[in-house]
This record gives sequence, structure tokens and C-alpha cells, in this order.
Amino acid sequence: MAGHAGLHLWGIDHRLAPTEVRERAHIDPERVGGLLAALAREPGFVSAVPVSTCNRTEIYVETLPEFAPHECLTRSLAAAGLDPALFTGEYGVRLTDGEAVRRLYRVSAGLESMMLGEPQISGQLKDAYRLAKEHHELGPVLMRAFQGAFRAGKRVRTETKIGEGAVSVAFAAVELARKFFADLSHHRALLVGAGDTGALAARHFLQQGIGGLIVVNRSPERARALADDLNGGKGELVRARPWEELAATLADVDVVLSTTGSLEPVILPEMVRAAMRRRRGRPLYVLDIAVPRDVHPDVARVDETYVFGLDDLDEIVQANLAARRKQLPGAERIIEQELAEFRAWVGEMDLRPSVAEFRAYLEDLKEKQVGYVRRKQSDEVAAAVDASLQQFIKKVLGRSMESLKSAESEQERLQHLATLHRLFAPQAPTTTQAPRDPQEPHDRP
Amino acid sequence: MRLALTVSEVLLPLLYLLLFVAYLWVFYENRRFAHLWARRLLATTVVAHLAASAIHARVHHHLPMASPLEFLSLLSLSLLLIYAVIERRLRVRETGFLVTGVAFLLQFIASAFSVAEPAANPLLEDPGYAGHAVLVLLAYTALSLSFLYAVLYLVLARQLARKTFGLLFRRLPPLEMLERMSVGAAKLGVPLLFGALALGHLWLYDLADKLDPATASRLTPFDPKILTSWVIFLVYLVGLAGHRWWGWRGRRMNLLAIAAYLAVVLAMGAIHHFVPSFHNFSLRGGV
Repeated sequence: MAGHAGLHLWGIDHRLAPTEVRERAHIDPERVGGLLAALAREPGFVSAVPVSTCNRTEIYVETLPEFAPHECLTRSLAAAGLDPALFTGEYGVRLTDGEAVRRLYRVSAGLESMMLGEPQISGQLKDAYRLAKEHHELGPVLMRAFQGAFRAGKRVRTETKIGEGAVSVAFAAVELARKFFADLSHHRALLVGAGDTGALAARHFLQQGIGGLIVVNRSPERARALADDLNGGKGELVRARPWEELAATLADVDVVLSTTGSLEPVILPEMVRAAMRRRRGRPLYVLDIAVPRDVHPDVARVDETYVFGLDDLDEIVQANLAARRKQLPGAERIIEQELAEFRAWVGEMDLRPSVAEFRAYLEDLKEKQVGYVRRKQSDEVAAAVDASLQQFIKKVLGRSMESLKSAESEQERLQHLATLHRLFAPQAPTTTQAPRDPQEPHDRP
Repeated sequence: MRLALTVSEVLLPLLYLLLFVAYLWVFYENRRFAHLWARRLLATTVVAHLAASAIHARVHHHLPMASPLEFLSLLSLSLLLIYAVIERRLRVRETGFLVTGVAFLLQFIASAFSVAEPAANPLLEDPGYAGHAVLVLLAYTALSLSFLYAVLYLVLARQLARKTFGLLFRRLPPLEMLERMSVGAAKLGVPLLFGALALGHLWLYDLADKLDPATASRLTPFDPKILTSWVIFLVYLVGLAGHRWWGWRGRRMNLLAIAAYLAVVLAMGAIHHFVPSFHNFSLRGGV
């Protein structure tokens, strides 16, 4: 983008930086204002959008042309309480202009995410963009780059299948449940155990609209505490039941999530058989995500009982990831199309002022000619001349733009622009040349 | 009119083919655009085929059931009609390629080998008999679809039990939905079968005047096909009651649907071949 505003990216992400480094580089929303204020004090700075998620922290900066942002960013990061060395050291990624924009587009499409094609990054980018706009006015290049990135991300998600299929174990558990039940809101789940893994899986099921959740744990206090936590003070969707009611509860639910730390199986075939007699053939989806296993292996032999473990979920995740990877070429094509559009927009940026001057000059000439015709002829004739000259201007401008865009080198393009500017930029009348009568056309006999 | 009929013989298989392709697209891609096209094509094909059947009835003064090929064409329309009702109720299109694939095959054979004007059984000109025949066709089509969805249920259940996470696992609707589709099809088939049987009984003796004396003498409400149809009706009715009030669900319910349908096919086939019945289209003068 020589000759235009500069676009720079400083960042770290999950590919190079370990978690502890990403944690140190994280920019929470409260710090964004401080960082932007510090950057705003730098002379070559135009605008910036800091993006910080659990897997990446990236600062997209627009500067004046030919401005090297190293010093400016180092000072500003330090002023905002961040360690600039994190971004400049072995874990840092520093890109400029086209490469920075390409990276932004890929991030927006989820191609740089840890879970290929994950959709959350799109919302996180939009939040970061909105937050930056609240603090300062964004430069035209950065604004256009982000808008293009949002469009590219949307196109990749709608035109390819890169977002299909669960790529985390917790979502795979829900996806698997959806192979049994058409609408989760009509079914209830049982969570056996009140540990962190179970709570996480339960949260996923609640987010996906499970109709109710029963927590059973050896310690009733922990079961009640987790139920209260999952309810979040709203309603009674999650309830706790005593450990002794585990067998009876199996008949009342359709999904079982078992995550205890027990060394022996806690869900036994006879318990499930008794429950199945009361269920009258309704299938029971049992998810055993405990190590060692909570569900006795013979439970899988009970009619209408389907038992899945961590390995099964991992198999689903791997298959979905492989399917997503097959979508990469299509996604890359879309990114390239959007980048080409961005490059074309940037290429036209410095044409606009000169072409506007040229247009103004031609419009001025046209007005004079039409005014002259109107005085000498009827309004109808003047209108016809006006329309004809408008077409003429359109064609001349179109041809000029094409010539400027197709310049063989940057130098040639700049020469053309300079010529256009010299010829048609508004100038003060010179003293040596008597001003013409503005009403008279130059070629009047 | 005749030109329209000729055109329909060319256009209908093409429409069925397009419909099949659209539903295959839905199955493999699951794009909103594919769903939209499948839905539109389904409506277009049903309307076009209904129009073609109406023109046929107007030109030939009887239902397009005079020959096995005409029957195949009507069967493909019947499949689409029942399927369209199920799809509209449950909004699931992933299994449509199976139904439309069969319908395309039937329509293709019907159009490719059609005879200009087959000799029609004069009974087909009787509106009461025509109504009975159409209801029977729709009823057994619905029960066939119930069987198809029950089979798909067992296929998916088997894949889940064996943890085979392949294409069918990814693209078939959930077990619960397949069961709803199977039960939904049976819920359509049972009243249609009742209507067909009731209409048949009402018109049984009115038809006697229109038949030759030998055939008329065989008309009886205790005909083996009629009795078997009543038994089928009762079996499906009990199955639906079990689902509705006694909580019959899952693999057993779907096994019941499969067993009931296989029993229907075997019983009807056995009666057709081994037991004398006045319900025999192959006999001139039969009903």
C-alpha cells in the first residue's frame, strides 16, 4: 500500500504463544481506552483496533504513510501497562499492509482459530471494532479493512461448510444428543457428579435448551450448590436429588451425563434394566465422561440404551475437524476475492481527490455551456445539451479512471495523478491573464 | 388436451428427476437454498401431476389406473402427496431423496413404456369406485412410508449402537424425528384405509348392477381382501393407540411398524395368488 496510509498488526496467538504468555498479553476492555489514548499522542498514528480473546491478542493500527510504528507501539503498550516485549519477541507476530489485512480476514473467517471455523471470533472482532469506535474515530483504511473482514467471515460461513459439526467434546456431546432427540427442550438430563467437567457439560446442555437437569452427587450439599449455580438465581430448571435416588431418576430422564471421580462403576446394568422397564422403550442416551468409567460396560447391552464415552466424542470431533479442513480451499478463495476488492479500493483511494477536481472542472464547463445555450435557445434545447454533456463527462471520467488504474507502474500512476492535479486543480486567477467572461464559451466565434 | 397429455408424459419424469436431484442436494449439502428449491419443486411436481391426471380423466373418462403403467404413475403421485403432507407437518427434508427417488423411478417407467390408450376396466369410470381405489392407494402408500421411516429408525439406531459416525449418522434426522415420521405416516394411512373400506362397503352393492352376473355373484363383504384390510386397519389402530396412550416408543415401536407392514405385504400377496377374490384387476370383469 505504498503511498497510502499504513496498516500494521502486532499480535500473539495460540500457534506460537503458550497460555501464560497469552494471559499476560491480554488486553481487557478497561485497558483499551488507555492504550488508544497513548497511541493517540503519537504523531504518525491514525487509529487502532485492539482485539483480545483467550487465544489471541492483536492490535491493528492505521498510521500515516511511511510511518514506522515500532517506537510508537512500544511506548503506547508500556504506557497501557502491557509488556511490549511479548509482541516483539519470539511469540510475536508483526505484519504490515496486505499481510496484516489478510490475517484480519482469516481471523474473521475462523481460519486462524484453534478450532477451525469456530464462529465466536466473529462476534469478538465486532465487539473489539465497536469498542475502538467508541474511543476514537477510525481511519478509512482500518474501517474498510474491518468491514471487509466481517463480510469475508460471513461469506466463508455461509458459502462453505467450515462451521458445521461440533469441534469440542462438550459440543460433540450435545450434537450426539441431537441424533436422538428432535427437540432437547422436551427432554431432561441427569448429571451424576458435581465436578467441574460435569458442570461444563451441563452448562452446554442448558445453553442448548435442555428441558431440565437433575444433579445427583454423593455429597448432597455439592449437588445443591451446583444446581443453584447452574440456575443462576433464575427458575428451577436445575434440581438436586439425593444419591439414593440415582436408580429411580434414570427412568425420569432421557440423557445421562456421568462424571464422578468414583473408582468403581456407579451406573450398573440392573439399575438401567429396572429403569428401562418403566421407560417403555424410550431410548436412554448415556454419556460417560469420567475416567475411570462410571458406567458398567454391560449397560450398553441393555435394550434401547446407548452408551458413549470420551473416545467416541473425540472420534466425532476429529471427523468434524477433518470435514472442516476439506472446506479450506473454498474459504481461501473467498478470502482472496475479498482481499482483491480491498486492494482495488485502496488503489483508488488516491485517485479520488484528483478525479474529483477533474470532475468539478468538467461540471463547471458544462454549466457555463448550458447557461449560454439557455440564454440563446429554448429551455428544451438547453436541457438536451445538458443531458448530452453529462453523458460526455461520464465517458471522459470513466476512461480517465481506467487509464489511471491501468498504469504500469506506481511511478507512472503518480505522474498521471500529478498531471491531472496540475491541469484541473482549482487555481487562483493569475494577474498576467485577463479573466474571461464566465458566460462566454472559449470557442465563441 | 391430448397434446397436453403427451407433453406431460415427457415433462413429468423430468420434473421428478429434478425433484430427486434437489432432495439429494438437501441430503448432501443441507443448504437453505437447496431446501427452498426442494420445497418449490415438490409443490410444482404435485400440482403438475395432479393437473395431468385431471386432463387424463377428462380425455379418457376414467382414472389413470387402466394399466399397470398408469397405476405406477398414480402411485408416484400418491407417494409425493403423502410425503408432502409429512414434510409440511414435521419440516424435515433430509429423507426426501429416498421417496422422490422411488417416485422418479416409477414415473420414468410409466412414461417411458406408456401405451397410447390402454383398454380400461369400465368400473374405473364409476366415481364411487374411483374414490375407493384412490383412497386405498393413498392409504397403502402412507403405510409404506411408515415402514420406510421405521427402517430408517432402525438403521440409525444400529449406527448409534455400533458408534458408526458416517454419512447417515450425520445427515439423517434424529431417532425421535424418524419415529414421529413413521407414526405420522401411519396416522395418515389408518383413516385413509378406513375411508377406503367404508366407501368400498357403501358402493359394493351399487356396483353389482354394473358387473357381469358371474362377477356380481362373487361380491361379498366377507371377501378375504376386505377382511384382511380390516385386520390391518385394527392392527395399525392398536399400534397408534399404544403410541398415544400406553407410551410405546423406540425400537420396539418401529419393529412393530415394520412387522405390521411386512404382514400386510405377505397377506395381500398370498391372498392375491392363492385365495379367490373378486378384487382382481387382472381378470376382465373383476373389481
